[in-house]
Amino acid sequence: MSSIRTYILPAALALAVHVGVIALLLVNWDESVPNASAAVEHYYIKAALVAENPHKVKQQKLADAALQRRQAKARLARQRDAARRAELDRDAKAKADLVAKASQAAESSRLETLRIAAQEAEKKRIEDKLAQAAKEASVATEQDLARALSEEQDYRLAVTDDEKAMAYVSQIQREIIQNWSRPPSARNGMQVLLMVFLVPTGEVVDVTLKTSSGNDAFDRSAMLAVRKAERFIVPADSAQFERNFREFEVMFRPEDLRL
Amino acid sequence: MNEPLSIIDLVTNASIVVQCVMAILVLASLVSWVMIFQRGFSLSSIKRESIAFEDEFWSGKDLRKIYLEIEASEREPVGMELIFVAGFKEFTRLRQQKEADPDRIMQSVQRAMRVALSREEERMETSLPFLATVGSTSPYIGLFGTVWGIMNSFRGLATVNQASLSVVAPGISEALVATAIGLFAAIPAVIAYNRFAAQVEIIVNRLEAFTDEFSGILYRGIRRQD
Repeated sequence: MSSIRTYILPAALALAVHVGVIALLLVNWDESVPNASAAVEHYYIKAALVAENPHKVKQQKLADAALQRRQAKARLARQRDAARRAELDRDAKAKADLVAKASQAAESSRLETLRIAAQEAEKKRIEDKLAQAAKEASVATEQDLARALSEEQDYRLAVTDDEKAMAYVSQIQREIIQNWSRPPSARNGMQVLLMVFLVPTGEVVDVTLKTSSGNDAFDRSAMLAVRKAERFIVPADSAQFERNFREFEVMFRPEDLRL
Repeated sequence: MNEPLSIIDLVTNASIVVQCVMAILVLASLVSWVMIFQRGFSLSSIKRESIAFEDEFWSGKDLRKIYLEIEASEREPVGMELIFVAGFKEFTRLRQQKEADPDRIMQSVQRAMRVALSREEERMETSLPFLATVGSTSPYIGLFGTVWGIMNSFRGLATVNQASLSVVAPGISEALVATAIGLFAAIPAVIAYNRFAAQVEIIVNRLEAFTDEFSGILYRGIRRQD
């Protein structure tokens, strides 16, 4: 029939259109995706910033500790001052008593002036001592402050490196957690310690059990989680990789379970 | 996970229902494109031949000669030729039967032409309903596939204890491919349907005008002979 023959060319053309569209899609597909992966990297950087927080808390704690130490020292110094003052007062009284006894034996008027002079001298001495103590105390606190400051600075310098490592660690943690499906026998408080060995490309070459939780299924699930991740993102800096990521321990401990 | 998803992965990883939806849509798209090309060729050929016939008809040539030429040619008469042949055949038949009443001759000639016209119109409109159906339903079929795929990927999310975007993203991406194919099938079908419907309308109008003109000519011919 002629009506069937009229469909042959249209069918061929339609096929050509579809093949063309699919080919176009396949060719352009890879070009359109890199944008998406860039977005993912961006997301990762954001995640790294979040991972800084624990450090900040630590720093804050350190600063707090320094402040407390300073306060304690100041308090101590104050107490010491008070004690010294009390002692001096007692000394003065004793001396005054002595002078009074002496005055009983000697002529009152002359001794009176002497006594006053002695008292005044004594007072002056006490005042001098107090001033010195105060100065000492202030110097001590200043030194303390400087020390705390330098400590903090050192810590901060050391932290930039560790912080970067922490960002990677938190990323690794997230990836492991994503792949971790816990067995129904998992309970809160169980913990298993794994040793993970990586190569510089981030691939997992070995996972060994360091401390078992006592539950085989749980141990296996943890090891499987690491194996399933297959590959982690590790720092490109080889020194840093060797220091922190060549082999590291991972602790699995479910805490959000109901049991 | 770091590998970008290829479109083939997206299709092969999709669930059975989504794959069925995709297959239906691809088939619909393929068939509708076949229809689009076939209709496009046949409508344009009808239009072309009608114009050619009209030129010949109004060139002052003897109508009997034109009729014999058409009868002698191998190809089937289309459009205006078909109407002309139907009308002229009826006219000569009645004349040979010595039918005297011009009004009755004209009535039956017009009837014959009307039948031919409606048959031609029907033939021009074949597969237009199919295009309309593909155009209006394939987005819904695609949407169904997408909803199903997203439903499944969220159901999968419920069993994962650490919910993250990368768990659901591939599933949603797979599901959205169904909608994309649905739209890919629907858009050309709708455009082609509108275009062809308008073309058919124009051709039918032209044929109707020709029917009237031709019956006028025949009527005048009868009167003159009488």
